[in-house]
Amino acid sequence: MARTTPTHTPAPKYILACLISMALLFSDVSYQAFSPLRSSVQAIGIYSQLFLETITSRLLEFTNAYEDQKTLTRLNNQLRDELQEIDNKLFLQEQSQLMSKSMIDLQDHLQVLGNQGEGKVLKIASFGLQDYLCCSQHILHLHSPPQFDIAINLPVAVDQTFIGQTSKKHLNLIEVILFSDTSHILPVKIQGLHCNAQGTGKPRLARCIVSEEFKRTDIQESSLVMTSGLGGVFPKGVIIGRVLSIHEISTKEFKIDIALSGNPLDHNYFGILLSS
Amino acid sequence: MKFQTHLFIFASIFLGFWLDSVIAEFNIRTYISALENLPYLLETSIGFLILCYWIYAIPEKIQSSTAFFYGLLVDLCFGSAIGFNMLFFSGISYVIHVYVFRFRIFSYLQLIIFFAGSSMFYVACKYLIFSPENYSYLLLFCSFLMNGLLWLPIYFCMRSLRRGFL
Repeated sequence: MARTTPTHTPAPKYILACLISMALLFSDVSYQAFSPLRSSVQAIGIYSQLFLETITSRLLEFTNAYEDQKTLTRLNNQLRDELQEIDNKLFLQEQSQLMSKSMIDLQDHLQVLGNQGEGKVLKIASFGLQDYLCCSQHILHLHSPPQFDIAINLPVAVDQTFIGQTSKKHLNLIEVILFSDTSHILPVKIQGLHCNAQGTGKPRLARCIVSEEFKRTDIQESSLVMTSGLGGVFPKGVIIGRVLSIHEISTKEFKIDIALSGNPLDHNYFGILLSS
Repeated sequence: MKFQTHLFIFASIFLGFWLDSVIAEFNIRTYISALENLPYLLETSIGFLILCYWIYAIPEKIQSSTAFFYGLLVDLCFGSAIGFNMLFFSGISYVIHVYVFRFRIFSYLQLIIFFAGSSMFYVACKYLIFSPENYSYLLLFCSFLMNGLLWLPIYFCMRSLRRGFL
């Protein structure tokens, strides 16, 4: 049996390696032969360490700055959202107050217009704007409250004047025909002169055709136009507009254009005078 | 052997020597004043033991030239005299190569004694060459015990790494 386990270990190579190592070690320990090399390697190590530390610190600074910026951005967004929410709340509150005020005012006006009569404030459902701006049919629809019966031919008011009258009822919608509709005729009184103001199909414009009797009155531009109450629908003496212009059609006929006061485009709520 | 394998083995040896330097820097005598007058007793050789494990585990892949080159790199990286680790790496590589199959039938205790003794010899030579005034038998004895305790954790840790990555 062999003293050692046989392996393929070429001893000369190890002996050579050991001899070289010993020679290098001796030269380095005794004569500092590799001191510059060692110093260079150590310097490289130190510089690498410093470089890595610098890079790491820069990276940390950048990360911190980024985190700060992210936090500030998030805070900014949060504050902006809160501000927007507050703005929205204030706006809604303001609108609610305005709406309440508008409804209260309208209710008061209705009482005045109807001579302390009963009135009902209704919200608009739709408005035929295209027809209103171009054509002869000027109609709007109001929401009728459930279980509330509203008759046709009732005055419809905004602010302190009338703008039209109820004409039809479809389910819970009430159709209102405006004074400017060509099919609507309203008996009015201008400076003591009675005439029938017919809609022209143009927004807020009605027209009276009068005879030469007109010359005996002092009607002029800006004269007040009031309801005469002769139609049986509107109470008398309510100002609905002013004379816009007077034109002579022939020697015996004159045309008086009336600018109506009530503007349906400015309102969401309309009052219906139930009794006067 | 692939370059990645060499890199992996050298990285583990480098890590061991780095741990040795960290442990050496952590001088417990500065924290406990009662130990101030005692000589330095804690000298680990984790890097040397890791190299021993690799030669023991894959002797056919770590030959004389590899051990020589690893020693050169360790000498350069850790600022020790050029040739010291080269010499001991080549020497221990030869010894392990000669007795590698006998080591395979050794028990853990026998392996501990052998490798702890090798590392003690390494430490002894290191002190004799570079710091003879601090050389003491107590230091060698403590190093023997410490490296003996360290062998088994290093052995199992390196074995799991070898099976996992190589």
